[in-house]
Amino acid sequence: MRVVAIAAACAALMLSATAFAADKPELRIGSVVAMTGPASALGLPEKNALELLQEQIAADTSLPFTVKFITYDDASDPTKAVNNVRKLITEDNAHVVICCTTTPTSMAILETVTQAKVPNISLALGQSVIEPAKDRYWIFKTPSTDQLQVAALVDDMVKRGIKQVAFLGLEDSFGEGGWVALQAVAKAKGVDIVAAERFARTDTNFTPQALKVRQSNPGAVYIHAIPPSSALVHQALKRVGYTGPIYHSGGSANNAFISIGKKDVDGALLGTTPVLVYTDLPDSNPLKPVITKFASLYEKRFNVPKVDIFPGQSWDAGNIVIEAAKAAVKSGTKLDNVDAARAALRDKIEGTKEFVGVGGIFNYSPTDHLGLDQRSTFISIVKNDEFRLYDAK
Amino acid sequence: MIDTILFLLVDGLTNGLVYALLALSLVLVFAVTRVVNIAQGEYVMLGALTLADLLQGRMPGTLYLLAGGLLLCVLLDAPRWRRDWRRAAVVAIGLILAAAAAIALTRAALALQLPIIGMMAVALILVAPLGVLIYRFTVHPIPNATTIVFVIISVGVSMIMQGLGLLIWGANPYPVDPVAAGGFMLGPVFVAYQSVAILVVALLSMGGLYLFSEFTLLGKALQASAMNRLGAQFCGIPVDLAGGLAFLLAAAFSALSGMLLAPLITANYEMGFMVGLKGFVGAAMGGLVDYPLSLAGVMMVGGLESASAYLASAYRDVLVFSLLVPILLWRNARQRADAR
Repeated sequence: MRVVAIAAACAALMLSATAFAADKPELRIGSVVAMTGPASALGLPEKNALELLQEQIAADTSLPFTVKFITYDDASDPTKAVNNVRKLITEDNAHVVICCTTTPTSMAILETVTQAKVPNISLALGQSVIEPAKDRYWIFKTPSTDQLQVAALVDDMVKRGIKQVAFLGLEDSFGEGGWVALQAVAKAKGVDIVAAERFARTDTNFTPQALKVRQSNPGAVYIHAIPPSSALVHQALKRVGYTGPIYHSGGSANNAFISIGKKDVDGALLGTTPVLVYTDLPDSNPLKPVITKFASLYEKRFNVPKVDIFPGQSWDAGNIVIEAAKAAVKSGTKLDNVDAARAALRDKIEGTKEFVGVGGIFNYSPTDHLGLDQRSTFISIVKNDEFRLYDAK
Repeated sequence: MIDTILFLLVDGLTNGLVYALLALSLVLVFAVTRVVNIAQGEYVMLGALTLADLLQGRMPGTLYLLAGGLLLCVLLDAPRWRRDWRRAAVVAIGLILAAAAAIALTRAALALQLPIIGMMAVALILVAPLGVLIYRFTVHPIPNATTIVFVIISVGVSMIMQGLGLLIWGANPYPVDPVAAGGFMLGPVFVAYQSVAILVVALLSMGGLYLFSEFTLLGKALQASAMNRLGAQFCGIPVDLAGGLAFLLAAAFSALSGMLLAPLITANYEMGFMVGLKGFVGAAMGGLVDYPLSLAGVMMVGGLESASAYLASAYRDVLVFSLLVPILLWRNARQRADAR
């Protein structure tokens, strides 16, 4: 008798367990990031943040669905990215794809996701990934762009009454991106570009370019490069006696910049995302609590002293997808019908309004798949070997 | 105007001297072994990164390369065990002891926190033998290969070393302290003491090499192997050892130039290749055999680089490497004139 009772209880338990799983559909978020290869310094933190998100979601029972994360490595290689995205779409039946870490890999998969009609959120910097929005119907992205940051810097120049700016940039695709952005922004805001000099990461001497720039007598200098070059060019400008303000791209917003530039880069102004300066934000800023929470979670889980900008990008992408899925399920979308669910999710992602993430406040629209504006762009100043907020908004 | 020219001149000269140490290494290696060593610039990277590690109190990653290379030597030596096991055992034990000694030396240097000059010496001792190891692995097994084969091998070596550099040190740049911080004003131009240090070390190295090859038996043997390989062999000079010695000295000179360059541009895994190529353009002026002409060549490269970076920064590397064309035309014309 007792045995029968236990068996019955067990059976009932198992039944309820399967019933429980069955009434919650599964949301599958596929992602491809650069865990190895040259871009792994960006891709690994992005993977970590997705892992963290997965752990947080697993604890959250209030969601009307379960979430399955499938993450692959593209080794910073466009071909591998395309293959893995295909695998995500056809074999794993992912509803949404988060891919990829770099601009070249993100460009490579455009065709694949567009043809398969799968919404994709890119983690790349390049604006070309999402523009024109008409042709990039299925593509969104979370990181800020050069253009947004350059615009914030040029606004500051205008505020100081500076009419002429000199450009110094890397002679690769990164530098070219900055050059294109500065040209467009400067023209729109009535600032003249009086000099444009180039250099390479492997150069041994930056003084000639700095001399040329000083002699063009600009009101400000904009340097679009990453350390070590950006810090070394800054030093060269000081060496030839340039004393005006020096602006940098977000590419310099990392500790290497300060450890190489030392005292010389004191006072450097950098365009950046809120993550770098969130502790200086006023408490009234809606971004502050969100970033503070994410930073403490991430720093504790992965034992890093200070969170940088990359994990926030995939964290935001994942959260935007989950918010969109919540809205879709609420309005009656069946996640089990993959094709219809993908299209519904895309519409809901595009409908994201005032979503406060780590990288800023997102407002996607049919014409804007970046979703960020000046409220999410900040200028940071180097003060006593630290990045501080330059002007509180 | 004058101060612009002065600025460009000082920088051009500083860079020219860095390239000069490279050109010196290239000429030395080519003259003795007929290897056009494209990988020469990688010793610049190794020297700089090793010094950066030592100054920051870490065990330098170069030890992996050195210990690994020595062990590989022991393995390659395996066939000898059958023929003459006593000698092979002695060689193997010697190599393993050498690896242990290198580790002990580094530990001692780190424990004592030597001043920067001492650390440079330790870094030199760690990097220079890598030249001999590379010689043992690539040139020694095929002494009679053609020049083009050696060029291709050295391109491979360069890629492997850069890859290993990325693996060991990562992509981050490391700041390195200068030998002497600060500088002085030369008229309107601020000259860093580091530039002066580069000048002094470059002159000392060149002078040292001159004295070594003119006044010591070893140096004379090196010269003899450079002039006539077969003849030297007949005279009882171990040409093979001379090749190893040339690689050793060349690695040392290049590593030294890397250590001097690093405080100006930080140390990173990809810093060496370009420096090596620019040294090569200069050395081409001397046909890879003539020291004084090579020196003139690198000074020209340094000056042209500085001037073109000022006048048309987007084209500076194009201009520097285009210099090869007139240099080769000139060398060709000169050779023909000599032949007549």
